Amino acid sequence: MAMSDVQKAELKAEKAYARKHKRMYRLTAGDVIFNVINYTIFALFTFACFFPFWYLFCNTVSDSDAVSKGIVKFFPKNFTFENYKNIITDSTTLRAFFVTLSRTILGTAVMVLASALIGYLVTKKELWGRKVWYRLLVITMYFNAGIIPWYMNMSMLGLTGNYLAYIIPGIVAPYNIILVKTYIESIPAELEESAFIDGASHMKIFRSIIWPLCKPILATIAIFGAVGNWNSFQDSLILMSNAPELHTLQHKLYIYLTQITSIGQNTGGVDVDPETVKKLSSQAVKYTVSMATLIPILIVYPFMQRYFEEGIMLGAVKG
Amino acid sequence: MKENLTKGVKASEKLFWFTRVAALLMVMLMFFPAFAPTRVLAFISSGVSYFTSAISYSGLTKNLGTLGRDMMNVGGGAVPVLAIHIQLLQVFSILGIVGIAICGGGAGASLGNTKMKKLSTILSMVGSLFVGVSLALVIFIRDKMYDNAKAYDELAAAAGKTSDKLGEITGTIPYGFYVFLVLAIVVFVTSVVAFLLIPKSDKTVKYEMATKYKLFLILLPFLLLVFVFSYLPLWGWRYAFFHYEAGQPLDASRWAGTYYFTFLFKDAATRADVLKVLRNTLAMSGLGVATSWLPIAFAIMLNEIKTKWFKRVVQVFTTIPNFVSWVLVYSLAFALFSGDGFINSVFGLTGSHLEVTGPVNWLIMLAWGTWKGIGWSAIIYIAGISGIDPQLYEAATVDGASRGQKMWHITVPGLIPTFFVLLLMQIANILSNGMDQYLVFDNTSNREYLNVLDLYVYKLGIGSGNVALSTVISMTKSLVSVILLFIANGVSKLIRGESIM
Repeated sequence: MAMSDVQKAELKAEKAYARKHKRMYRLTAGDVIFNVINYTIFALFTFACFFPFWYLFCNTVSDSDAVSKGIVKFFPKNFTFENYKNIITDSTTLRAFFVTLSRTILGTAVMVLASALIGYLVTKKELWGRKVWYRLLVITMYFNAGIIPWYMNMSMLGLTGNYLAYIIPGIVAPYNIILVKTYIESIPAELEESAFIDGASHMKIFRSIIWPLCKPILATIAIFGAVGNWNSFQDSLILMSNAPELHTLQHKLYIYLTQITSIGQNTGGVDVDPETVKKLSSQAVKYTVSMATLIPILIVYPFMQRYFEEGIMLGAVKG
Repeated sequence: MKENLTKGVKASEKLFWFTRVAALLMVMLMFFPAFAPTRVLAFISSGVSYFTSAISYSGLTKNLGTLGRDMMNVGGGAVPVLAIHIQLLQVFSILGIVGIAICGGGAGASLGNTKMKKLSTILSMVGSLFVGVSLALVIFIRDKMYDNAKAYDELAAAAGKTSDKLGEITGTIPYGFYVFLVLAIVVFVTSVVAFLLIPKSDKTVKYEMATKYKLFLILLPFLLLVFVFSYLPLWGWRYAFFHYEAGQPLDASRWAGTYYFTFLFKDAATRADVLKVLRNTLAMSGLGVATSWLPIAFAIMLNEIKTKWFKRVVQVFTTIPNFVSWVLVYSLAFALFSGDGFINSVFGLTGSHLEVTGPVNWLIMLAWGTWKGIGWSAIIYIAGISGIDPQLYEAATVDGASRGQKMWHITVPGLIPTFFVLLLMQIANILSNGMDQYLVFDNTSNREYLNVLDLYVYKLGIGSGNVALSTVISMTKSLVSVILLFIANGVSKLIRGESIM
C-alpha cells in the first residue's frame, strides 16, 4: 500500500526524534556489558545452529577416506564430488528420492485443495449439521488411538506397502483447516454477499473470490505440509517394512545411519551385493544422503520464511 | 422456494433414510477387505477389498502360490482357464463398484426436490441391480473355479498322479457377500417403493436441491475420510481384549478380557519396564516444562539487539533446525560426535560420544530438542513483542525505568498470556514426547534412559509383536491425555475465562 505524504512526513519526524533521543541518552557501562554478552551469546548460538550443517557439507565434498579416518576439520579435505556421484548412481537412493518428492508434491496439493474447500464449507452457516461436523473434525486433533490400532486400521484398508498410504490419510488436516477457516472469517463478508446477490453459486464464489483471497494462508499451509511430507518417516517405517521400493528418503537415511552404528544388525531387509554395500556404507556417502534430504528444505527455506511467520501467528488464534 | 409436497413424497422421505444409510454403508464397506464378497476362495488374498479386487488384478492373484500356478494351465497349458476366471472376477467387481457409486449418487440426489428424488430412485434401483448382478456373478464364477479344480484333479488322476485341488480351494461364501446382498436389497426395495410413491413432475420443473444439502454433499467425502482415518482406528482397541498373534485373524484369537490390563501391574518385569518408561517420559516432559521459558528469554534478548542485519541472520539460522527431520539431526550429531566425528578430529579424542550412559542422556536430549526448537518457538513471542504498545515503553522511559525494568515489567507481562496457553498445552501433552527423536538416538548404552512411552509402545507393538499389551498402554495413555486436556482446559477457563481448545 502506498504511503500518503502525511504518513511519510510523520515517519521522517519520528526518525529524527529517535536519532535525537539516542544522543540524549548515553549508553551506560551496564548497557555496554549487557550488549556485549547478548551479542556474543546470539552469535555463538547462531554459529551452533549453522556449523553442523556446514560440517556435514564439508564431509560430503571430501574424499571418503578422509571422512572415515575422521580428519575433516573446518573445511573440506581433498575436494571431490565423488560421493554425490555415488548416490546419484545408486538406484535405491534415487528411487527413495523420487518417492519422497512425488508424495510431497501430490500430498501437499491434495491437502491444500481439501483444506481450502473444507475451510470454506465450515464457514457456511447454511451447511447442514455444520457445527457437528466441525467439532467431529477438530476433536480428532486431541486424541489418538495408538500406534497398533492405527497400523491395524491401515492394514485392514489395504494401505500397508501401498503408495496411497502416503497421500490419502493426509488429505484432511484439521489444524490446517482451522487456519483456513479463521482466515476466511477475517475476509469481509460483504464481498461474498454481493457476489451471492449477483447470483453466483457457492462453488463459483469459492473459485473466484475465496480461493484468490486465501492464497497467503494456502501458501503457508502448503509449506508446512510440504515440509511435513518431506520429513515424514514414521509412516514409511511402520507401513512399508515389506516394500523397500516405497521407502522415503528419511527412512532410507535412517537405515543407512543405523547400519553404521551396528553393522550387520540392520540391513533393512534389502538384498544387495557386497560391493555395493561396501561402497554405500562409507560414511561420506551416508552424509551425502543426509545432504540430499536437506537440500530441498534449504532451497524452499528463503521463500517460506515470510509465510511461516504468518502461519504461526494465525495458529495462535484459537480455532 | 417451497414445494407443495404430496403425501407420497412425504412418506418416501422416511424410506430414503434406509436407502441413504444402506448406500453409505456400501460405499464404506467396499474399502474393507473383511467385507469383500470377492473372497470366494481361500487362495484370494485376505487383504483384498471389494474395491481393490476391482482395480487390481495383481491384488487378486497375490496369494495364488503353487496351487494357482498349476491351475492356471488346466487344459494342457493351451488355455489358462483360471486366469480367465480371475479376470472375470475382476470385471464383476468393477460392475459392483460402479453399482455402489451409482447408489451413492442416488442417495445424494434424494436430498433434492421432488423431481430430483424421482431421479434418485431410478439411480438407486439401477445401482443396486448392478450390485446384485455383480454378487450373483461372483458366486457363479466361484462355482466355475470349483469345476475347474475338479477337472484338474480328474486330469491328474487320469495321468496317474494324485491331486486334491478341490479339497484345497474349498471356501465358504464370505459374509461380505451376505452383507452387500442385504444392503443392495434394502436399497432396491426402498427405491422401488419410493419410485411408486413419488408422482411425476412437470417438464417445466427443474432439478433443484437446497443449498444446505448441496454443501453437505460436497463435504461428505471428506467426512468419510475423517471417519476412516481418525475414528475407525478406535475400533482397533478391541485388540487389547484378545490373545492376538500376528498373522491369524482376530476371530480365531482367544478372548482375554482384562488379562492384559492386570498383566501390566502383576507381571514384575513388565511393571518394572513401564515404571522405567514412565520415569523417562516424565523426566523429558518435566525438563521441557522447566525450560519452557527459554523461547521467551530468546525473544526478549533478541529484541534487545538493534543491529537489523544481525537480528535477521540470527533468526534465519536459528529457525532452520526446526525444519529438518530428527533423522537428519541424528546424522548431524553423528558427524559431530561419533568416533571419527568433528569433536574427536579437532580435540584429538577417541571413542564415540553418542553412547553415553546415565541420566545425563536426558540433558543431552533436552539440548538437542532446544537446539532444534527454540528459534521457532520464539517466533510467536517475537511477534508478541512487536504487538506491545510502544507508548508503554515511552511512558516507562519518561518515568526513568531501566532497560531491565522495562523488560521485566512491560515485555514479560505482555507475553505471559501466550506463554500460559502454550504451557497448559504442554502439560496436557506430558505423556507424549513423540518417538522420532528417541528412536534415532537410541543405542544400547542410552536405551535405559531414552525409552519414553511413545517409543516403548512402538517397540512393544511393532518390534516385539506384543499387540495386546501395546494397545492396552496406548488406550491408557489416550484416556489419561484426554483427561489432562480437560483439566488444562478447565484451569484455563478458571484463570483466563477462555478455553484453549
